[in-house]
Amino acid sequence: MFDNYRDVDEPYVTDTTLVDVEGLHFSRGENDIFRGVDLRIPKGKITAVMGPSGTGKTTLLKLIGGQLVPDAGRVCIDGEDVHGLSRRALFRMRRRMGMLFQSGALFSDLSVFENVAFPLRVHTDLPEAMVRDIVLMKLQSVGLRGARNLSPAELSGGMARRVALARAVALDPELVLYDEPFVGQDPISMGVLVQLIKTVNQALGLTAVIVSHDIKETLSIADYVYIIADGQVMAHGTPQTLDVNRDARVKQFVHGEPDGPVPFHYPAPDFYRDILATKGERS
Amino acid sequence: MMRPIASLGRSTLDALSALGRAAMFLAQSAVGIPSREGWHLWLRQMHFIGVMSLAIVLVSGLFIGMVLGLQGYTILVGFGAEDALGQMVALSLLRELAPVVAALLFAGRAGSALTAEIGLMKATEQLTSMEMIGVDPLRRIVAPRLWAGFISMPLLTVGFSVVGIWGGYLVGVQWLGVFDGSYWSNMQSSVAFVDDILNGMLKSVVFGLVVTWIAVFQGYDLIPTSEGISRATTRTVVYSSLAVLGLDFVLTALMFGELG
Repeated sequence: MFDNYRDVDEPYVTDTTLVDVEGLHFSRGENDIFRGVDLRIPKGKITAVMGPSGTGKTTLLKLIGGQLVPDAGRVCIDGEDVHGLSRRALFRMRRRMGMLFQSGALFSDLSVFENVAFPLRVHTDLPEAMVRDIVLMKLQSVGLRGARNLSPAELSGGMARRVALARAVALDPELVLYDEPFVGQDPISMGVLVQLIKTVNQALGLTAVIVSHDIKETLSIADYVYIIADGQVMAHGTPQTLDVNRDARVKQFVHGEPDGPVPFHYPAPDFYRDILATKGERS
Repeated sequence: MMRPIASLGRSTLDALSALGRAAMFLAQSAVGIPSREGWHLWLRQMHFIGVMSLAIVLVSGLFIGMVLGLQGYTILVGFGAEDALGQMVALSLLRELAPVVAALLFAGRAGSALTAEIGLMKATEQLTSMEMIGVDPLRRIVAPRLWAGFISMPLLTVGFSVVGIWGGYLVGVQWLGVFDGSYWSNMQSSVAFVDDILNGMLKSVVFGLVVTWIAVFQGYDLIPTSEGISRATTRTVVYSSLAVLGLDFVLTALMFGELG
């Protein structure tokens, strides 16, 4: 199944790469978020980008989507440099992408139906009857055809994310970016979302990038995984190879160990001295 | 010694950078002139920004006209010049009070609501998701609001003036007994279409653009947290009020002063 994948330690190269991230550097103020990140996202596969909180996973999606501009390096989608495009060309390229936001980001002034119909209405001239059919098909695929007349405020978090998924794939995009799709979901919603992402991906032949730190769920559907830490790719490989990776940092992350190379404690002075500090010494 | 200078330099650079961002923002948004497809978006905003502000503007206009009638009569009657009440009420309203007060009310009612609405869209990632769908929020969200505010403001000012003149009539003529023929005919003979009415309208056009620009920019540029939204809403009202009053002086000096 993974004929294109070579050795774990070798950069992943394939002639069917859709997204190519090369030497990406990005910083916010004095804080370096990425220091030379290289990623290859293959067509038609689910690629997961994982890492501890605060490593810039969502920032990476925004860089791929062209919402942020890197300090150095390139992001190419289908051979086109995203950050070299004009504003108009960038918006045209985004029609080939879908993004599922952590919050769902549904338009609060539109109903569920109109939210899913939105991309179709603004980017196509389809007759109303066809728009209706497509919207109902997309809602049916996420199990919410019956909720079409509800407003986003009436949906639970899991339902909102499913509607957002239907909207993200409304135009049958080539690439779907998932930003923490499993965060804050109850076990049933989580199971539904995992299944949906996998099914939708297979049915539509999409390329998916999932940014997440929910290890079990993400590894269960990902074809390939990149782990990012300290601004660089710490490891990459198939879920199976990462599971047996001996690197202490990878082991700590993949097996969810509370302490290890990534310390449990935020840097602080000695605990004993801190407790016994006199009034003048207290910070 | 160096710290205050560095701090002043940083603040100046921040202010210039914000001004540059606001200018780029205006240039990119104003391109989104209401098109045939975007007509309904513009009409919806005209309703929200213009029609929904009508009540507060008209009621305020009525009371301001009534106060002008009462105050004007008390002063003019001392000189036996109460017949000039009509021209006093009309000129005060057309030249100054209607454009300025309507703009201040507009900033409080519609401006703050625009900032909060766009800010909340930003905080809930609706603007980002729109960008990712391939729709430019500057054209879809900001442009209809900008144009609606720009067009609504002069219309609201006309309403304010008309109701204010009627309020002056109610108090001056109906209540205090000024002869109604002199109220209307003095007004007719002293109000010049270009100097008074058009100049007043020009002010309202400028105020409409500035207030709406400040409101939508503050909403678009805010830090997407509840505190950020609250600060931006306050800034909209404060900056708009100061801009309206400051620009009013400049425009008045150009239109009616020695500079003109």
